Amino acid sequence: MLCRRPGCPVTPMQSRVRQMVPHGYKSINSFIIFFLSLKDKKFIIKMAVKILSVDDETDLELLLTQYFRRKIRNGEYEFYFAHNGLEALQVLLKHPDIAIILSDINMPEMDGLTLLTKINEMRIPSLKCIMVSAYGDMDNIRHAMNKGAFDFATKPIDLDDLQLTINKAVEQIEYIKSAQKEHAQLVDIQADLSVAREIQQAILPRTFELKMKEADKTDIFASMLAAKDVGGDFYDFFPIDDHRIGFTIADVSGKGVPAAIFMAVSRTLIKATGLQGVPTNECMSTVNDILCGESVGSMFVTVFYGIYDLETGIVSFTNAGHNPPYILRADGTVEKLNSVCNLVLGAVEGMSFSSESLQLNSGDALVMYTDGVTEAENKNHDQFGESRLETELAALKGADGKRIVNTINAKVKEFINGAPQSDDITQLVIRVK
Amino acid sequence: MEVKIERENAEVIVHLIGRLDTPASQEIAPQVNELAEEAGGTIILECSELAYISSSGLRIFLSLRKTAAEKGGKVIVKSITNDIRNVFMMTGFLNLFEIQ
Repeated sequence: MLCRRPGCPVTPMQSRVRQMVPHGYKSINSFIIFFLSLKDKKFIIKMAVKILSVDDETDLELLLTQYFRRKIRNGEYEFYFAHNGLEALQVLLKHPDIAIILSDINMPEMDGLTLLTKINEMRIPSLKCIMVSAYGDMDNIRHAMNKGAFDFATKPIDLDDLQLTINKAVEQIEYIKSAQKEHAQLVDIQADLSVAREIQQAILPRTFELKMKEADKTDIFASMLAAKDVGGDFYDFFPIDDHRIGFTIADVSGKGVPAAIFMAVSRTLIKATGLQGVPTNECMSTVNDILCGESVGSMFVTVFYGIYDLETGIVSFTNAGHNPPYILRADGTVEKLNSVCNLVLGAVEGMSFSSESLQLNSGDALVMYTDGVTEAENKNHDQFGESRLETELAALKGADGKRIVNTINAKVKEFINGAPQSDDITQLVIRVK
Repeated sequence: MEVKIERENAEVIVHLIGRLDTPASQEIAPQVNELAEEAGGTIILECSELAYISSSGLRIFLSLRKTAAEKGGKVIVKSITNDIRNVFMMTGFLNLFEIQ
């Protein structure tokens, strides 16, 4: 059921909207209700408060339905009646959404205090019991309150006073229900995050050995420090033939399971296409066209993809919307790679990309990173930034890949100084020994 | 993050004010996409007070562009700050939109 307003059909727009449900709206219903509430502020959905009155005397039924007739008529209250504790439990079983129980204490079959005990066993914090006793029966009233009754009333029931007690109960119940809902959503999110994290961990290469001819001349190291909300960064490298390796660093726009899946798909597409040895720009356009077909909610991925020739030291590369890497030269110079900024992948089908190249000589390192490094924030919302990164890199003259990566990670951690990590922090270094 | 919508003739002007980070993007996505569905004309994204845009924000720009194009409309991006311009340059978005 998509809409509670009578006569309100599902418009084409609503089903379009369904396709674009942002992450976080767990049900189409709650999303559409939010959406509709934006359009028409007067449309508020309120469910009837269900009240179960338990009393062996039948005149209470008449009294209640008379006094609350207006609220019953306009659907605010819905009354149920039982004549003893046992019957009450049966009604409760049939109507588990009863919110308030108004119960006499002295009844046959099962009295009010026993009923109260049974209800406590059900552990429903949003079910409130108002116990009714004879005037002056403080013993029973105290028993009931100590057994967790929400409130009490004495006979003959003052209905004006009862109305106030019911209002109070309704308020409490709404508060408890919203807290329960938030809790459930949080549990859902935790579950999602651990799935996303597993997907991400499964993808990333953990060892950095190259089983190739010139492998001993090459130093590769990488790391990905995941944020709490998995950010979809990844890196990859693979031998293409006996003297070339393909390598990737990338950042998916988005978080959680959808980003993790998109990341897995992108990584596989790039590797499968790259393994065929095609030029870097061709690899990017092939992958881009396929991803455009797969993209949900305009998700895209920024990619820096390169092919490194171990024999010549030449790296041919394509930068598809990613942070330009740095070259840390043997003499300590830090160069920001100036290149064509092609479009990110997954955004527009049929885009063409350009390939460029750079030369790595002995002692040079190509240092790639994601914006989790430069946009890392401390408690004052200052960002780590590119200049800080450049300064740190200059101080790493002559360092091997592992030391570069670990030092930068440490510097970023030091900078954020306990502030939460909002994005994945990823680096990939390829160095000629 | 604030969104103010003005309509002038066949144009819809959307003022984006503040930081378009991930939570803000999720919040405004339905409103913004609804606009694109309605429009057939021009949508102007007024960005003079847009201080920051995350990749989630970029996704909103992208999906607006897609939907507008499908309906025969177009998206104009106005008055972006230098920081935002740098982001657009790096991601290649600069060539995707008419920037004024």
